[in-house]
Amino acid sequence: MSENYPKLDLNIFVTIKQVPKAMKTGADGLMDRSGKSMMNPHCTHALEEALSLRDRVGGQITVVSMGPPNAQKSLNEALRKGADRAYLLSDRKLAGSDTWATAEALATLIKFILKENNETLDVLYGGLQTVDGDTAQVPAQIASRLKMSQVTYVESVKVLDDKHLEVRRIIEGGYQRLKVPYPTTLSVTETANVPRGPSLTASMSAVDKEVIIYNIDQIGLPEKYAGLAGSPTVVSRVKNVVIDRGPVQLFNEGDTAKLVSDMLTAVNTKEENN
Amino acid sequence: MGKDKKAKGIWVFIEQFEHAALDISWELLGKSRELADKAGEKLIALVMGDNVEHIAQEAVHRGADEVFLVEDELLEHYKCENYTYAAYKVIKKNKPNQLIMGATPNGRDIAGRLAVKLKTGLTADVVSLDTTKDGIMLGQVPGFGGSVLAVIKCEVARPQMATVRPGIFEAIPIDKKRKGKIHKIDADLDKKYETTKLIKLQKVEGVDISKAKRLVAGGRGLGGDVSALKELAELLDADIGVTRPLCDDGLFPRDHQVGSTGVTVKPEITINFGISGAAHYTAGINKSNTIISINNDPNAIIFEYSDYEVIGDVNKIMPLLIEKLKAKLMKEVKQ
Repeated sequence: MSENYPKLDLNIFVTIKQVPKAMKTGADGLMDRSGKSMMNPHCTHALEEALSLRDRVGGQITVVSMGPPNAQKSLNEALRKGADRAYLLSDRKLAGSDTWATAEALATLIKFILKENNETLDVLYGGLQTVDGDTAQVPAQIASRLKMSQVTYVESVKVLDDKHLEVRRIIEGGYQRLKVPYPTTLSVTETANVPRGPSLTASMSAVDKEVIIYNIDQIGLPEKYAGLAGSPTVVSRVKNVVIDRGPVQLFNEGDTAKLVSDMLTAVNTKEENN
Repeated sequence: MGKDKKAKGIWVFIEQFEHAALDISWELLGKSRELADKAGEKLIALVMGDNVEHIAQEAVHRGADEVFLVEDELLEHYKCENYTYAAYKVIKKNKPNQLIMGATPNGRDIAGRLAVKLKTGLTADVVSLDTTKDGIMLGQVPGFGGSVLAVIKCEVARPQMATVRPGIFEAIPIDKKRKGKIHKIDADLDKKYETTKLIKLQKVEGVDISKAKRLVAGGRGLGGDVSALKELAELLDADIGVTRPLCDDGLFPRDHQVGSTGVTVKPEITINFGISGAAHYTAGINKSNTIISINNDPNAIIFEYSDYEVIGDVNKIMPLLIEKLKAKLMKEVKQ
């Protein structure tokens, strides 16, 4: 604990998603998730904000995720960086979830954990978006589902007093500095911080920690709200991006000077024609 | 909100900042005019703010049949809770069939919140938008890093919501002869329920490369030195676009990032220097009229997306290009 921060012992949650390292389509036309995976980059920044807040005012960090059993890998990474508890919601019935169903599932998991442990939530962090979905909708949808306030596109967080945070959020045309009371949900941008690596002490204590895995029945998420069944939107078809450019004109002859002059001639001709 | 036969109209959320509408608002209204005509629906603009009646009027001049104008001093600056409360009320009462918003920080902030409150589907980050004749919205979103496009539908719940990336559609020019009804709606907000307070608004003049006529773009192949790229941009009177790693490394602010997590560009000409062509990036340059790419790897994917393919070392080609362009300029000055 540094400076004159009050000791607040905040109950902090972080949502985390594991994503493929290389985005490619499998033979079935769906995303190929069989290759190497990693923690979604934006989530690493959300976790760093949570760790930094706990460094300042104390508290407990819980990381939650939804995905196949191997998503434990990212949750274990979070434990090694200093998270206190990790939960994974894993169930085949969650396949095909859109943003609404994803938020419903994660909100139900968070509520379940809070109830089991007789806790209340102070700050929920999420990454701004994921690199495999790019929707940037889920943190706001979880917040709405939990009836919590939200600030998205957060770049910095200061502790104002025992009831309020001051956050800086990116908007079109600049920034807003907002005074926000707890409890709240914050979605964090990549520019917010530089995530720390795993620490030795955290890694040592992580050895004793296990990711707790639940299925949808265990947390009381009805089947009709899970996965495809619970998703108001459906993918009606998927099409490959067609490259509709004509045959390419190739310059690979001669020295650099010839390449440059051929290229400039091509540009000039093109611009005159337009 | 279950399937509602009474759900009517294509609504566009007109986002404004400091009493001026954002360009994305007019882009969405322009595209939605075409969709409304196709589906036989009314085009309705939702304008929220304080002292923004002039924006409501402009919405009519730019294609809206009707405007719902919600004004309150608590709506002067965007705040999630106030905007969601006021928007929810007017949407719940008037039951739009489609509701279209910009995929901007504020558009995305309110869209997710509203979709859950309305218990409806949201197609996020749309790059191409269409409707069936009976009013089913068809939103195309890039998937898997931009290598495929998924067409998303929301069959039952209403309104069908979407957020759309800026810079994709064209606004309709102002026509002052256009007429439309403006409904003034009371926001019914009370300061005592407001929890989030604005401490300060900082304005930053950013760049908008989505409107660039010429673009020079750089990637990892530049080897971390972006001085030649900047010089070329000046000489060619072009804007600068970069791939995501260059922003991650702090070489350029985010508003220069091209691609599915950055800006979609549609210049006359794009010149790629040292860019390999990840799907994330190419998704953002596809609408360029002419694409020239320079890379020393003959197998670079970027060449599949190019009209001109130059196989060579950018670090040799760029200085020479600068020299030639300077010489050309000198000649023009002398003439």
